[in-house]
Amino acid sequence: MNVVSSYLILAAILFCLGLYGALTKRNAIIVLLSVELMLNAVNLNLVAFAKWGIAPSLTGQIFSLFTITIAAAEVAVGIAILIAYYRSKATSDVRDMNSLKR
Amino acid sequence: MEAVYAQYAWLVPLFPLIAFLILLAIGRTTSRVGPIIGVLAAGASFVWSLFVLFEQMKGDGMGYVWNDLEWIRAGNFVLEMGFEVNPLNALMLAIVSFVSLLVNLYSIGYMKDDARITVFFSYVALFTFAMLALVISENVVQLYIFWELVGLCSFLLIGFWYEKPEARAAAKKAFIVTRVGDVALLIGILLLVWNMPGHALGFTNIANAFANGEIAGGTATLIAILIFIGAVGKSGQFPLHTWLPDAMEGPTPISALIHAATMVAAGVYLVARTYPVFEASSDALQVVAYVGAFTAIFAAIIALTQRDIKRILAYSTISQLGYMMMAMGIGAYAAGIFHLFTHAFFKALLFLAAGSVIHALHEQDIFKMGGLWKKMRLTGWTFAIGGLALSGIIPLAGFWSKDAILAEAYHSQPVLFWIGLITAFLTAFYMARLFFAAFTGPAETDDAARAHESPAVMTIPLVILALFSIGAGFVNIPGSERLAAWLTGEAPSDHSSVLVIVLSNVVAVAGLLLGWLMYGKKAVPQDWLSGRAGWLYRLSFKKFYIDELYEYLIVRPLRVFGYFLHLFDEFIIDGIVRLLAGITVGLGRTGTRLQNGQLQTYGLVSLLGIVILAVAFVGWRFVVNAG
Amino acid sequence: MLQQMIDNLSSFFGSGSNIMFLIFALLAIGGAVFMLNLTKVVHMVTSLAVTFISLAAIYILLQAEFVAVVQVLIYAGAITILMIFAIMMTNHREIDQSIVRPLHQGLVLIGVILLGGLIFYAVQRAAFPAPDVDLATNNTENIGLKLFHEHVIPFELMSVLLTVAFIGAIIIAKREED
Repeated sequence: MNVVSSYLILAAILFCLGLYGALTKRNAIIVLLSVELMLNAVNLNLVAFAKWGIAPSLTGQIFSLFTITIAAAEVAVGIAILIAYYRSKATSDVRDMNSLKR
Repeated sequence: MEAVYAQYAWLVPLFPLIAFLILLAIGRTTSRVGPIIGVLAAGASFVWSLFVLFEQMKGDGMGYVWNDLEWIRAGNFVLEMGFEVNPLNALMLAIVSFVSLLVNLYSIGYMKDDARITVFFSYVALFTFAMLALVISENVVQLYIFWELVGLCSFLLIGFWYEKPEARAAAKKAFIVTRVGDVALLIGILLLVWNMPGHALGFTNIANAFANGEIAGGTATLIAILIFIGAVGKSGQFPLHTWLPDAMEGPTPISALIHAATMVAAGVYLVARTYPVFEASSDALQVVAYVGAFTAIFAAIIALTQRDIKRILAYSTISQLGYMMMAMGIGAYAAGIFHLFTHAFFKALLFLAAGSVIHALHEQDIFKMGGLWKKMRLTGWTFAIGGLALSGIIPLAGFWSKDAILAEAYHSQPVLFWIGLITAFLTAFYMARLFFAAFTGPAETDDAARAHESPAVMTIPLVILALFSIGAGFVNIPGSERLAAWLTGEAPSDHSSVLVIVLSNVVAVAGLLLGWLMYGKKAVPQDWLSGRAGWLYRLSFKKFYIDELYEYLIVRPLRVFGYFLHLFDEFIIDGIVRLLAGITVGLGRTGTRLQNGQLQTYGLVSLLGIVILAVAFVGWRFVVNAG
Repeated sequence: MLQQMIDNLSSFFGSGSNIMFLIFALLAIGGAVFMLNLTKVVHMVTSLAVTFISLAAIYILLQAEFVAVVQVLIYAGAITILMIFAIMMTNHREIDQSIVRPLHQGLVLIGVILLGGLIFYAVQRAAFPAPDVDLATNNTENIGLKLFHEHVIPFELMSVLLTVAFIGAIIIAKREED
């Protein structure tokens, strides 16, 4: 058992919890929240490898900075879409967003 | 001297076949031409069969066999088709085509008002073809083919008026009951194929094989019994007789042609053709004789109480066929064929005369007729002649043939002689009962009062048949047995005795007298016996409850079995099909549910897909590394 | 194997950093689990904030101080507040009812468990040699140096992305002028 394994397993657990929430929750906000959780798990992976991985360096941490940035941008745009959708359809239930069927 | 006409004997069945095809083609377009074509074809085949017959009568043993048409070749088993002409064949050809011609002529009048008259004549032509082809068949398999075809024609013609449910039921019953016999015959044929040296199935081969004792006794008995069961079915012997009385639902000319003169005689003919098989097994001959004798008296008892004119005649036919079988069984081969020959004439006459009565009255119950003697002279006279011939009064044809059988029985097996004698008494009695109830006395109904004679096209055949009923017996009188000698090719054994002649005539006259007293003069009350022993009357009237017995023993269990098979088919077989369909539909529905436009569903599918792929990958590597 | 696990566990709890890691890991997982099982949306967001902060603590354990601070600032600060704003603007009931889709939820549960198990298995089988590197000294300065020397192009692209994102968000969320 490596030193890094515990961090990786923690990240895996968080990722799976986030995946479960993303695929199961009804409210679109909560789905976005679960996606954020998944991104956090990925960040944890990156930072763990930056310290305890095969070629440890600061690049991992820098990459995680980028990930955080992108996550923030994605949340912003996502919330904007959600608000616009809610304004026109008066529902934030993901079950009602099924126009992909056609 | 080479047989000339015998080489063209195949023309005899050909004419009715061509008539059948033509009538099938023209269908219902015209109802004037159809009967004429039928009569012409029957006439042509009759003329040709006469040529063949006279030629056979001239020479001695001048038979002709042609079997060069190779039909099946499987390994070293070869089955040929062909035809054979010998005295027995030629005689049967003449009988069948003659009766067919007369029936065709008669049907022009009888079926005049029927819309499907052309169909009727086409069926009759088909039947004539099949019967003639059966008669000149060269080997057992070919005979079986035409045997079945004849059964089919019988089915079609019994159910000719298919709107009547009784006719439909009777046709089915005839087919199914004869089928039982046919299965036994088929098994017998298969045994023959198996046992015959070289698997040869021609009748001459069979005759040689059995005469030389090449086939073991037990096998020979089995084959003979099986063939006899086939004959029992077709000739309406006990216990497969139940179809023949019901077959009277068909038109009366059919009853005359098929169920009196020709098809039912096919059973006797079959026994005659395969006689060497029976001669090789004395047990089989005993069985044949006793079944025939029992049937004769059994049917005669039933005929005593029946009221329908056609049913009385049907049971009479069964009874007379029993006589023929009895004759074959006691070794009187020629006597049996002789009785077949004369019986064809007077039974066809009786049926056609009965048809004349039915055509005039539209009634079949003899106690609803009466007084027809004055109104239908010709029919009455010819009916009387036929009845006397059937009863066996000297010097009519029926007497000579019945005497030949009884004399032989007296000589070899007296028990059968007494049974035959009692049956003769009963025969005379019920014929007298029939005649006096129908033709004498006051008219019981208005229809009977208004009856008139039938047209000439119907009465001419009656007259012709009456003449033959009188004179046909003289070809084989004791002391001058030309027919027997010609048929068997050897000097006949003369067992006739004056005692038998006297006895048979006495009982016949006694029967006629009793019938006259009871039904003509009405001196003896009609319920003399039935009043005292009513159960006897009921037993006879209800045909010894044989039909009911079969219903409970055979038909009902088969229906239950069929019901279970139906359930099996519906739930298991159909169930499997429905299961497959259900699976397909279910798969389709599942696929539809996957495409519901929801992101989370698609996400789930992707997740499961990734997991399955990863597990497969890891598992693959695990298996490869571990193994 | 059980003996080995017990040995591992006892040696694991020997060092202090491990205990800290355990506490914060449990906090993080607890926050995530509570997020999934609470009913009110605002409570869900709050428990997720707890997860974010405990993750930041774990980053510090991993000698990534700058990332930890950024995590607290952005995630626990901006994103959580943004989520609460979004809830305020969309879902007045603020109650998230998990619908009864037993088949779907069951299948997702199975898939997720399988995925987790797979990753666990992969992690257990892998061997990571761990050369000891000290990242904590001058962490921020080194990150800045690296960022502007070697990764300047992604940095610029990030800024473009952020611009596009916030312009897009404004346009999408703007109320239509009728």
